[in-house]
Amino acid sequence: MPGILIVEDEKELREMLKISLIRHNFTVFEAVNGRDAIAHFKPSSTDMVVTDLIMPEEDGLKVIMKLKELKPSIKIVAISGGGKAGPGSYLNLAKALGADAIYSKPFSINDLIVKIEELLAFEQPS
Amino acid sequence: MSKKLKISDYNEKLSSHSKDKDFSDQIINHSRSMISIINREYIYEKVNSTFCNAHQVAVDSIVGKSIDDVWGYDTFNKIIKNNIDLCFSGKTISYEASFLTPLLGKRYFEVVFRPLAADDGEITHILAETFDINDLRQSKQTAFEKEEELRIFETNLPIGFLRCDPEGNIIHANKAFLGIMDCVDEDQITRMNLKSFYPEQELFEMQLEQLLDCHTKSFGKFSLKNCKGEEIPCRVSGFMAVDESDSPSYIDFAVEDSSRELMLENRLQQAQKLETIGALAGGIAHDFNNILATISGYSEMLHDDLPKESDLSDKVSKIQGAVLKAQSITNQILTFSRQVEQEKVPVSVSEVLKETIGFVKSSIPSNIIVRSRFSEKSANVFADPTQLFRVFLNLMTNAIQAMEENGGTLSVSLDVVEGKYVKHELNKDIVADEYVLLTFKDTGKGMESSVIRRIFEPFFTTREVGKGTGLGLSVIHGIITEIEGEILVSSKKEIGSVFYIYLPVSKKYPDFSGNTNEKKKILFITGNKHESRILSLALENTGYELSYISDRRNMIKVMAYINERPDLIIYMSDSKQIEHGDLVGIFRRLRINTPCILITDPNQELTEENLLNSGIIKQQLIKPVSLKEIRNAIQISLR
Repeated sequence: MPGILIVEDEKELREMLKISLIRHNFTVFEAVNGRDAIAHFKPSSTDMVVTDLIMPEEDGLKVIMKLKELKPSIKIVAISGGGKAGPGSYLNLAKALGADAIYSKPFSINDLIVKIEELLAFEQPS
Repeated sequence: MSKKLKISDYNEKLSSHSKDKDFSDQIINHSRSMISIINREYIYEKVNSTFCNAHQVAVDSIVGKSIDDVWGYDTFNKIIKNNIDLCFSGKTISYEASFLTPLLGKRYFEVVFRPLAADDGEITHILAETFDINDLRQSKQTAFEKEEELRIFETNLPIGFLRCDPEGNIIHANKAFLGIMDCVDEDQITRMNLKSFYPEQELFEMQLEQLLDCHTKSFGKFSLKNCKGEEIPCRVSGFMAVDESDSPSYIDFAVEDSSRELMLENRLQQAQKLETIGALAGGIAHDFNNILATISGYSEMLHDDLPKESDLSDKVSKIQGAVLKAQSITNQILTFSRQVEQEKVPVSVSEVLKETIGFVKSSIPSNIIVRSRFSEKSANVFADPTQLFRVFLNLMTNAIQAMEENGGTLSVSLDVVEGKYVKHELNKDIVADEYVLLTFKDTGKGMESSVIRRIFEPFFTTREVGKGTGLGLSVIHGIITEIEGEILVSSKKEIGSVFYIYLPVSKKYPDFSGNTNEKKKILFITGNKHESRILSLALENTGYELSYISDRRNMIKVMAYINERPDLIIYMSDSKQIEHGDLVGIFRRLRINTPCILITDPNQELTEENLLNSGIIKQQLIKPVSLKEIRNAIQISLR
């Protein structure tokens, strides 16, 4: 089963993402902030990161940069509730830093799952 | 004629004593004036040394000569003769004239002719004295020029200047003061006391006392009352002049109109306030989006878990509809606080404005007239056309609402102005050589200044609770600020309001190259051709192949004629539309399984469940939608 790391400081949202991904047969790891994600990252068992962008203790942009460095083949989906860093949005910055997909909150969880499956070329058993 | 001098007096005095005569001769010869005695034949009978020296000749070469011999025929006839003749009639004559002197060239002289009478009273001679007044004249001229310079300086200086007597009665005021105080002329002012311009007399008296103490004092900013009784914020300083005995002789005041300064200060304060509110509201919107993502995620999961045809599906759909509505509000807040990036394209402002006017005109009450004037110069700005449409539509709708009861005129104009002019108007850094200036002027109810100050704050509304979120103008402010423009407002109660929008002109032009959308075909079904036009302006350089249907009654017909089925249908609903259920029916009947994006009105009842449940509708968006939202929805739906 592909392993997905969820980095999200909002507990309820993290839970929701976890439940949904488990329902689709993914192995889920959780991190409550950027620092936590970087510290406990397991390159061998993690194929994808779904990360929030604006978080205390190292933001999502740092996570993207660091994890890409640790595992260049990792797939990244960035989600954000809005926010701008300088002239561009966080989401566009995330894309520039190597995020494979970006989503504004609130998003459709089904759309997100479809995208994740597409990125991991993962065939869901019917 | 007792005053008249007699020639015998001179002769007598001169000859009475030879020593006296010597003295007299000395005095006469050393006088700084040229002195001569002329007889009735205009012949010089006597001249002093000064006269001879000035002409660089000896005494005997003048005595016996006529005036025209000495000064020239023209000078004699034009200037001298008349005056001499007058003098012979008994008058003392004095005049100023310029003469050419051999030593110093042309110089100014004052000439005095005094009649000299013989014993019998007959005037036989004239005593002529000519003083060189050239230097005097020159210093007078210099003084005059200096005075004139000061006068021009004082007249043109944009600072009001006035002089009063120690009681405050105005002696003189310059043009600027008359202008600041809206007075007709200086006569009106000089009949007034400065005290009458003060809203409180005590303040004036206190200032006079302060001037008595320290002579020069800056009183800072306070309001003066102009001739029409309106209060004008001014910066005032004074100077009290005293005489030798240290008692005040006059007071000078300098008065600067600080309304503009105050206006700019207020504007800056408001901008800072909006920044603060924006940061706060943006943070809240961000948190809400997190919560909404959770609600939305669980409701989707719940929807998937429910058995098909479950009567709970409706309820779940309602939750999802509410999430969409809430998202639309958080989006507006984020737009106001400029936390979302706008997708921008080069777009002609006049085209967007014309479409908006067309859109508005189709539904305005008959007692309201819409006038428009466009600059001949066309100009592009770098912006999201759908957002510009939103801005213009909102301002026009507000204007129409303000005139609903009594009718009126909404005047919309578009001009292209130079950047340096804008800099003066806005007092901020300019980012383009040219700006588009849009004006929306209504003759409606107008606003109080307390309302104007807060008009761009989010959730500030003068409407009753439940009618509008109070986000409209704050969102507009965010949109305009994000594209480096500026929105200003001026309004008078019962007269009307004017909104001014400045947008930097972009040198970018639409770029159709480099699109990799493989010519996907998108069909727009809208209720209004102006709305379609705005969408086409927004999407024309995205590389999609776009077609539009704005007449829904012909939709079925048109659809049937589309041989090549579109890859995506974007259905924009409005109040006059066919039922959504019917839409599904039509799609099914025509065996269309093209993915569809539904764009609905925020106040529309959420009856799209069956549409969403039917699987035809891929995405639902709530108006107003931005170019970015549409593009994202298209990308997701075409996947």
